[in-house]
Order: sequence, then C-alpha cells, then structure tokens
Amino acid sequence: MENLQELLHGFTIAVTVPHLLLMAVGVLLGILVGVLPGLGAPNGVSLLLPLTFGMQPVSAIILLSSMYWGALFGGSVTSILFNIPGEPSSVATTFDGYPMARDGRPTTALATAFGSAAFGALIGVILITFLASWVAQVALAFGSPEYFAVYFLAFASFVGMGGAAPIKTVVALAIGFAIAAIGIDTVSGSVRLTMGIDELVKGVNFVVAVMGLFGIGELLVAVEEEFHARAVSSKIDWREVFRAVGRLPRHSVALLRSAAIGCWMGITPGGPTAASFMSYGIARRFSRRGRHFGTGEVEGIISPETADHAAGTSALLPMLSLGIPGSATAAVMMGGLMIWGLNPGPMLFVDQKDFVWGLIASMYVGNIVAVALVLLTVPVFAALMRIPFVVIAPLIVIICVVGAYSVSNSYLDVVMMLGFGIVGYLFKKLFYPLAPLVLAIVIGDKAEDAFRQSMLLSKGSLGIFFANKLVTCLIVGGIALLLLPLVLQLARLLRKPAPSTDETTSREKVII
Amino acid sequence: MISRRALELATAVLTGSFGAVVVVSSLDNGIGWSSSGVDAGTFPFLTGIIVVLGSLYNLVRGVLPAASLASVPIAITPLELRRLAGLFVPAAIFVAAIPLLGMYLASAGYVFAVLAIPRHQSVPRALAMAAATALGLYVVFERIFQVSLPHGALASALGV
Repeated sequence: MENLQELLHGFTIAVTVPHLLLMAVGVLLGILVGVLPGLGAPNGVSLLLPLTFGMQPVSAIILLSSMYWGALFGGSVTSILFNIPGEPSSVATTFDGYPMARDGRPTTALATAFGSAAFGALIGVILITFLASWVAQVALAFGSPEYFAVYFLAFASFVGMGGAAPIKTVVALAIGFAIAAIGIDTVSGSVRLTMGIDELVKGVNFVVAVMGLFGIGELLVAVEEEFHARAVSSKIDWREVFRAVGRLPRHSVALLRSAAIGCWMGITPGGPTAASFMSYGIARRFSRRGRHFGTGEVEGIISPETADHAAGTSALLPMLSLGIPGSATAAVMMGGLMIWGLNPGPMLFVDQKDFVWGLIASMYVGNIVAVALVLLTVPVFAALMRIPFVVIAPLIVIICVVGAYSVSNSYLDVVMMLGFGIVGYLFKKLFYPLAPLVLAIVIGDKAEDAFRQSMLLSKGSLGIFFANKLVTCLIVGGIALLLLPLVLQLARLLRKPAPSTDETTSREKVII
Repeated sequence: MISRRALELATAVLTGSFGAVVVVSSLDNGIGWSSSGVDAGTFPFLTGIIVVLGSLYNLVRGVLPAASLASVPIAITPLELRRLAGLFVPAAIFVAAIPLLGMYLASAGYVFAVLAIPRHQSVPRALAMAAATALGLYVVFERIFQVSLPHGALASALGV
C-alpha cells in the first residue's frame, strides 16, 4: 500500500502543466526519431541529452522517457504503413502489420498495434510500480561482491540470451569495458589507455559512442538499400479505432503471454528487439492460425507490439533499482542520470523519492499521451516519410556532429564519433551486437570498481564471490548463462545436423 | 565488391589490434596485486586479452567457410559501396572542414554540396535548405540553449 501512496504523490509531480507539455514535446520528438529510419530511440535520447543538463532531473527524465515511448510507437507506424521498420524492435511488426494495411485495413492494423502496445507498456509500468522498490530494498543490503555478481549476471545474460554469436557478444562487451577504462582511473587516480593523446584523459563520453554507433552506423546501413516509401493510405477512421481496440480482449491469451515475454526480456537485458521476435515466433508456433501468420493476422501484430513495449518499459526497472540498464536506451538514460548528479541504484528510492515516483507516475500518463498523440499525428508523420532520404541523411549527420561536439565542446569527440560510425556499420553488418557495447561503456567503470573493492575486502581472494548464498547463486547463474551457448552447440552436434537457418531467422539476425 | 569473408577478417583484425593496443598500454599501469589492491592496469589488461582471443576466434571463423557465411557470400555490392561512399565521404569532408570554416558555414556548405552536386534538388532549393540549416542551428544552439558551436579559424582570422 505504501507503494500506492508514493505513486499518488508521484502523480502530483507528473501531472502538472509544464510536465504534461514536456511529455507532449518528448512524445512528438520520439515519434519523429521513431519514424525516421536513420534515427532510433537510443540516439534520439542521447541527442536530446545535452539539452537537459540545465533542467531539474525529474523534468529531464520525463522528457527523455516520453521520447522513448514516442520512439517505440513511431517505429510501429512506419512498419505498418511503409513496411520500413523505423526501429529495430518494430521489425517483427512488419510481418503482419504491413500485409494488413496493404489489404485496405491500415486503421485496424495501427489501432491493434497501439492498443496492444499500450497494454504491454501498462503491464511493464505496473511491474515497476510494485517490484522496483522491493528490488531496491533487497539491493540496499548489497556489498561490492553482490554488485559485481549482479553486473556479471547482466553481462552474462547478453552472451547467453542475446541471440547474436556469443563470441562476437563477448568481443563487443570487452571493447566496451576497455573504452570505459580510458581516462582517469577513479580508484588509483592514474591515467589509463590514453595512447599519448592528452585530450583522452577525460575519457570517452558514451554520448559520443552512441551517436556514432547508432546514428552514423545506422545511416550507413540504411543508405545501402534505397528506400521506396510506398505508403498505403494513412487516413484514420476513428470508429474503426475503437472497434479494433474493443476486439483486443478476445486475444487475451496472446496479450498476456507477450507481456510476460516482454517483461522478462526487459528486466534481463535481452532488450525489446529480441523480445518482439521471440514473442512473434512463439505466437506463430502456438496460435491455431499459425499458418496464416505473415498475411495480416491480428495476433501477428499483437504479439510483437505487446512484447516490444513491455520490454521497453520494464527495461527501466533494473536501471532504477539496481543501476543496471536493461536496454541500450535505458543505458543512455542512466548515463543522463549520472550527469544530472543522481546515483542510479537502490539509494534513489531512499534519497530521491520525488524523482523515482514522479518518473513512474509519468510512465502511466506518458503512455496515454503517446497513444493519443500518435493516433492524431499519423497522417503528418506519414507525409514526412515522403521526404527523400538524400535530404534527411545530411541533416542526421549534422545532428550527430553537433550532438557529439556539444557534449564537452571538443572537436576530437566529433572525429571519434565518425570513427564509432564506421565501427557501428561494420558491427551491424556482421551481426556484432551493439547494446552490450554501449552498456559496457556506461557501467564498465562501476563493474570494475565493484570488482576491485571486493578484492580489497578479501585481500585478493576470489573466494569472496562464493562467500554467501546470494552471491554464489548470482555468480553461478552468470557462469551458467555464459556456458549456455556452448551447451546448446554441443547438444546440436549430438543430435543430427540441424537444418540450415531459414529465411526468417536470417532476417532476425540482421537486426539484433 | 567486398565479400562477407573479407569484411569479417577486416573487422576481426580491427578489434584484435584494438585489444592488442589495450593490452600493451595497460601494462604501463601495472597489472596484478599491489599494496593498494588490484592495480589500475589489471582490468583493462584482462579485457584486452579477451578482445584479442575473441578476435582470433572470429578471424578463424571468418576464414573457414561456415554454412552461415556461405549463405551470404557478398557483403557489399559495388552499387552499395558507391552509395556508402556517397554518404560517408562528404560527411568526412564536412567534419574535416569544421576547424577551418566553423560549424555554420561547414554544415551549410555540406547540405548544399550533397543536394546540388548530384542534382537531387535544384540549385536555388539547395541554397535555401543550406541557409535554413545554418540558421536553424544558430537559433537552437547559440540562442535558445546557449551552446556555442565552433566558429572556425576563418571567422577568427577575419575578426568576426
């Protein structure tokens, strides 16, 4: 009950005119970056980050999280109307969303997508409301070994469940750690890995990395194939909106199952993209109409959308209560928290009640604002898609350049951002996962500190990670996840040679 | 035309050499255990080793013709390469021009060049868009958010 009281208090913070306006601005900007193929939620949020430095933390996080909701919704709009996923996490929505829209039912497809997305987000927020403060309370008793164990588990789950080639995930993670270590070491004060470049003493800001990896990298991937925006009609029939939403309860099994998958994948750092694909795949296998998937099935839209938004929302739970982001966008937001002078983790629930509950309350309101705005603005943003890519591409480049520069007024950052762009392109092209790389850049330092403090406590003995039940469980769970791909590989070898990957899985791999 | 194999190899070499640099330069900070606990270089040293080993594995996987590689032998076709260069080369020139021209002139020139030279837009329209870009940047950053963008060596030489 205490949680509900705190939540009500949060609503008094979130539902004020300035904050509602911020939500509307955030959602609109979010839909914009969600709709544009070269920009996504992680770099949209990081582009906005330099502009929030002067704001109150609670206002800043409301702006950024609203942008996140907007981007999640915006990605679905282009998936359905243009068959072009604006966001990696909405690729699975194209499978059934676009066929349905092409068959002359765009309103039904959009309303079904938004309705189930809102449901997924709602389940995610409810989960956060009731679970986050409890998790934080447990985490308050954590010492350095427990923290390191939790970080270890988070990184291991990327390797075990991320979906990309395990060794490539390991390489991406380790590169992220090395980048995080550049600059002044917080424990000893010595300068590390600057390779003789004095400007690197301040370290590599994650905003610069994100801007290059996601912004320029994605642009380079996008420019390879020419976009043909063949839109189906984007007119909204309001009566059909309510009818489509009214039909949703008939698919309650699919809704609940997808929400559960989404929440699980969001809390463990699987991320929204993996969640939406997994949910779609499971729905196709278990639905009675599984054979019709891909031709405009309602459940083929419900499943990925619900899971996508449930995962996107619940990814904020570990960020708030443990200081470990569950997705790339959450990692960027967490970087923002640190810049605003907050310390992400369980102490937030003690020291910064207004911030935490204001944010949680704003998630309820923000998602409602997002659904309303996205429905109202579909025709506007659909028209935006007709702007040729050659015009949008240089503008995105300029935004990334200015964004990278404004982080710390450094030209070197701009050059590095461009370098990260090439890395991002190569990694995307060859299916190296980017989310663990960003995650490691953001929390690499904290993981290292936790490890070194544990070692100080135990005078150099690794035995401290097996000193009590909790720590042992976390470490053993992490090791199990690390070994999972190896075990699966062996199991596959023992059985007869598996049939080669079919078309959907190769497409699934492209975006992870 | 760039094959998938060549791209895998190049990337593995890139990540591997980054790992090697990390390993070598973390040796300066000391690795192992000292009176003040774990030395500063230890953690980067270990991550560097992991990067090197992982890159070696990816390198070998890239050389061996695996089933997954055989299904997509070509990574970048000549046409795609031309499109990539068409985006990246002007962007790199734009970034290189910033110290001299400043953010406003460089970005206006960049927008104009990308739109007008390949004849995507007519010259007057490209000019208008270029001017609008520079003006938009100025209003949003210098005026609204009070973030000063670089004005360039040329501007300071002219005393603007």
